[in-house]
Amino acid sequence: MFPTGTQARHSIPAKTGIGLRFQHHEAVLEMPPAVAFMEVHTENYMGGGSPSRYLDAVRCDFPISLHGVGLSLGSAEGVDPVHLDRVRQVAERIEPALVSEHVAWSVSGGTYLADLLPLPMTEEALDVICRNVDHLQSVLERTVLVENPSTYVQFRHSTIPEWEFMAAVAARTGCGILCDINNIFVSSKNHGWDAYAYVAKLPPAVIGEIHLAGHSVRELPDGGTLRIDDHGSRVIDDVWSLYAEALRRFGPVPTLIEWDTDVPPLDVLVGEAHHADALISAAKDEARRVNAA
Amino acid sequence: MSTLHEVQTAMRDGLLGVGDPALAAVLAVALTPSNRISIYRNTSRSTLTKALRLNFPAVERLVGEDFFAVAADAFIAREPPATAWLDLYGQGFPEFLQGFAPAAALVYLPDLARLERAVGRALQASDLEPLDLGRLVSIDASEQARVRFTPHPSVSLLSSPYPVDAIWRAVLTRDDAAMAAIDLGAGALHLLIERRSSEIEVRRLDEPQWRLAEALFSGKALSAALEACGDSVATTWLAEHLSAGHFTKFRLEATPSATERGS
Repeated sequence: MFPTGTQARHSIPAKTGIGLRFQHHEAVLEMPPAVAFMEVHTENYMGGGSPSRYLDAVRCDFPISLHGVGLSLGSAEGVDPVHLDRVRQVAERIEPALVSEHVAWSVSGGTYLADLLPLPMTEEALDVICRNVDHLQSVLERTVLVENPSTYVQFRHSTIPEWEFMAAVAARTGCGILCDINNIFVSSKNHGWDAYAYVAKLPPAVIGEIHLAGHSVRELPDGGTLRIDDHGSRVIDDVWSLYAEALRRFGPVPTLIEWDTDVPPLDVLVGEAHHADALISAAKDEARRVNAA
Repeated sequence: MSTLHEVQTAMRDGLLGVGDPALAAVLAVALTPSNRISIYRNTSRSTLTKALRLNFPAVERLVGEDFFAVAADAFIAREPPATAWLDLYGQGFPEFLQGFAPAAALVYLPDLARLERAVGRALQASDLEPLDLGRLVSIDASEQARVRFTPHPSVSLLSSPYPVDAIWRAVLTRDDAAMAAIDLGAGALHLLIERRSSEIEVRRLDEPQWRLAEALFSGKALSAALEACGDSVATTWLAEHLSAGHFTKFRLEATPSATERGS
């Protein structure tokens, strides 16, 4: 019925793009940077006027990935039809190469809680999110990618490991997975999981995109530490290493550098993107050597 | 075992500061759960406060960051958003400020917020095509008096007893001299706020201009609007509204077969 996640990824090359934020609007139009695509937050382009006109100009130069942050695919009460319709309208206007959302929830009782909140990993939650992803895909008439979350709490009654939950959403709905390597690293540190085992358990065929970002480390009053996924710094070495491993397993995948707080000059983002591109090239070379041997 | 609905309700209450205990019961963490929940609560609160700052920049600059944060906190607790489209979050903020005791001394603050709300609506309004004037000309002259217009969503009107347009400009451009020169007792004013190309324009209307605009924008029939205006140049102003694209469509005053005429 819909193009598959793996087909969708071919419309954006297996190279690196950057998250486009308002700070860089002018710079990007003046001198389009050497990156493969631009990803924007769907919610930032729901009105008319200059942001929309700007994005129309940017999409002449770059493929666009629409990344939603507020549809609340994990809500037991279902997705808000009004917000879903706004997402549909943006997607119709922008004709993005990729559309993605999160395995998370942010709406309860009609209130938007303005953060990507964690789901208990249960059969019930799996049913709920699959129902909502099905609905999203039928409204958009295309497949989407769903992103693994970064989390700070787990639920007592969770029964499914997160990587299995992600794979199950993809298998049941036909959607792809947006694999956020930084989120895997952050959640693994926070909950004592093995990040490499997580990556190894994800089904390579449905990985449609990878996200990379920086995070911070917070000391808690009780002496514990928590990794916070704040997208406010460079990607750390441990995350680059996990990314290189992911590329070995998944093959080359479109990759995105995200930076949302203390956004640096554009050339810093482009530099991070080029570092990711170098790792993609290295993984391709390695794969060729292995195949030739 | 808790249902997803129960978990989400408990977590929502925990984030809004209502019910941590219900939440603690479902969480599996060795560390104090509230430490971890506070990460979510802080992100939520700072995202919403930032949205209010972006939507009400002059209010924030006028009262200062700290005062604004206190007001925002109280407002968020009372009117959290219903949707993730935060560009229009804070539609009730002006009315909230009206009743916010710590700001009572700044009598013009709620109207300044109303002006910023109008600016925000103008910025975010859909790109609707203005009314095709050809369709207006094509209707019978005898029917023209019965025309009722639909205003473009980017255009709105605001009346205030204070010179909020001057305050708004002075605050946003950090023009202390202009701020010092503002006379709060200069008298009431009427404003028309709209998006022109990409710029926002805030313009004063005199009393008859305002009466005409108010009547037209509230959907009164053309004859009634011209009458309400009572000025001999009312038709010139009407032509200006039309050429500026202030309307998207019109219909004829309710008759058994009233029809909408689009652009």
